[in-house]
Amino acid sequence: MIGSVLAVFCFEWKRSFTWPRMMWWLVLMCFPIFIMGLVRYNALNAISASDRSQEAFLTGWLVLCAWLLFALIPMLVAMLGTLLWTTPAISAELERKSWIYLAVRPHGSLSVVIGKYLTAVTWVFPPAILGLTIAVLLAGLSTWTEVGRVWWTMLRLVLLSVPAYGAIYLLIGVLLPRRAMTFAVAYTLIFELVISFVPAVINKLTVQYRLRSLLVEWCELSLIGPNGRPLSTSLTVIGTEPAWQHVLILMAMSIGLVGLSVVVLKSREFSSSAESET
Amino acid sequence: MIELKNVTKLYGKVIGVNDFTLTLEAGAYGLLGPNGAGKSTLLNLITGQLQPTLGSVRVLGRSPRNHAELFRHLGYCPGGEGMYSEVSGYDWVCYLQRLQGMSAKQSRIAATSSLELVGMSSAMNRPISSYSRGMRQRTKLAQAIAHNPDFLILDEPFNGLDPIGRHELTTVLLDWIGLGKSLLFASHLLHEIESITQSFLLICGGRLLASGTAEEVHTMMVGLPNEVAIRTESPYELASRLMQEHVAESVTVKGEIVTISTRNPAVLYEKLPAWLQDWGLAVSEMRSADESLQALFNSLMKMHRGEL
Repeated sequence: MIGSVLAVFCFEWKRSFTWPRMMWWLVLMCFPIFIMGLVRYNALNAISASDRSQEAFLTGWLVLCAWLLFALIPMLVAMLGTLLWTTPAISAELERKSWIYLAVRPHGSLSVVIGKYLTAVTWVFPPAILGLTIAVLLAGLSTWTEVGRVWWTMLRLVLLSVPAYGAIYLLIGVLLPRRAMTFAVAYTLIFELVISFVPAVINKLTVQYRLRSLLVEWCELSLIGPNGRPLSTSLTVIGTEPAWQHVLILMAMSIGLVGLSVVVLKSREFSSSAESET
Repeated sequence: MIELKNVTKLYGKVIGVNDFTLTLEAGAYGLLGPNGAGKSTLLNLITGQLQPTLGSVRVLGRSPRNHAELFRHLGYCPGGEGMYSEVSGYDWVCYLQRLQGMSAKQSRIAATSSLELVGMSSAMNRPISSYSRGMRQRTKLAQAIAHNPDFLILDEPFNGLDPIGRHELTTVLLDWIGLGKSLLFASHLLHEIESITQSFLLICGGRLLASGTAEEVHTMMVGLPNEVAIRTESPYELASRLMQEHVAESVTVKGEIVTISTRNPAVLYEKLPAWLQDWGLAVSEMRSADESLQALFNSLMKMHRGEL
């Protein structure tokens, strides 16, 4: 079975070297660099050189860069990249009516799901990491220690967020192949961008909550608000659990959701008959 | 080899297969039925892609649903195309053989030999998007036979093939059967199946109407009304003469077409040329309903419902 997964992985990677896909790859890589460059340029123009060297500015700049890079890479690039490549993993095969050729192979459906998931995840890593590296260097952080800390934090967040989002979108694609993209976008907007900021227990179910908490902890960002009280206790949008717990939950979520996708796929009926999917 | 017991498959309120009971030993069989008869649904049940709503399906003694071991011995060529247009036929067949459990080297050898067998050697490195329909059919067949399965299921494999292609594929399939391997061949054309096998399964409306050899099916049809349509410039005279000869159960005239319902078409075919000569009537076209599969199925459906 490992050979079959590897075969799907290699085949899908080979197929992904098309102009449209390469263009998407470039867009995903360049977008955070472009935004970071604009912000840096704006800051250089708006703030005088003497102000830029002050401690308060440097601290604030580090926080701004960390949150901006977080929003651009572990959030946007990871979400968009995996949304585009894992959500249609099954629906594309069904629409093309190529699913049947894969499904009548020993462990075919399982190999295709896992192989396509791995392809999507490894496809998103390079633009995310390359974009991150260039964007961090472009950010103009005051010391190399800060550059290293932000880069290392974001890298770990990318390594956690891409598989997690990929697994969520894969499951959506398997559960709702006919409207996979619509439901995946709806999930992202409702759960990851709205509910993750709701100060209630439900936000702990989102990937965003975990990533945000890890960012604050790993980047050692200050959570003291203007009133002198810690933001996390007043808003509860950032978790106070230890980092290992968030990491473990994200990893378990990724593996668990891919496993669930396989189980769902094995129990579903997709046929080439006119009546098709039931 | 295949055992279906009271299998019914419902798609909501639509019946795909209706109370289907069948046992097939190893061998070559033709699954014959008009479009929409339930052939593809039946094949999907046999390959485990669908689960019966009622009844049970057994292939090689086990349920085919998620049956990895069965898929090692099964080759399936579906009716639809569903190929990756941007990859070459060779890459596609190689890929599917890798999924079959072969190593990269084995898959390359298997893909090359199967594509050669179906006459695709010269075009196998071209993208599938550049293939004609016949070439796609051949490539589909290549992916089904490349892993040398014991049991081959083909859904309308001759679609889009030219006469030479049909002949070549017929030879490939006859050789296949000659090796003692099993085959289930679905088609809506009688002559396609007759060229491959003499064992028929006749399906219509999701029901198994008849099974047996071509001779047995024809024997069943003896005594059933057959319709023959004849085009002539003197339709009323021809209709009148035929009624006088007592060969027609009923005669209908519509324009230049005389449609005769007869229980003994053989007599009609034998005597009609002489009669036409004696009566001085010219016939420009004659279509035997015995060649019309739909008529055969209509009669069998009526028999099935007890109307005949």
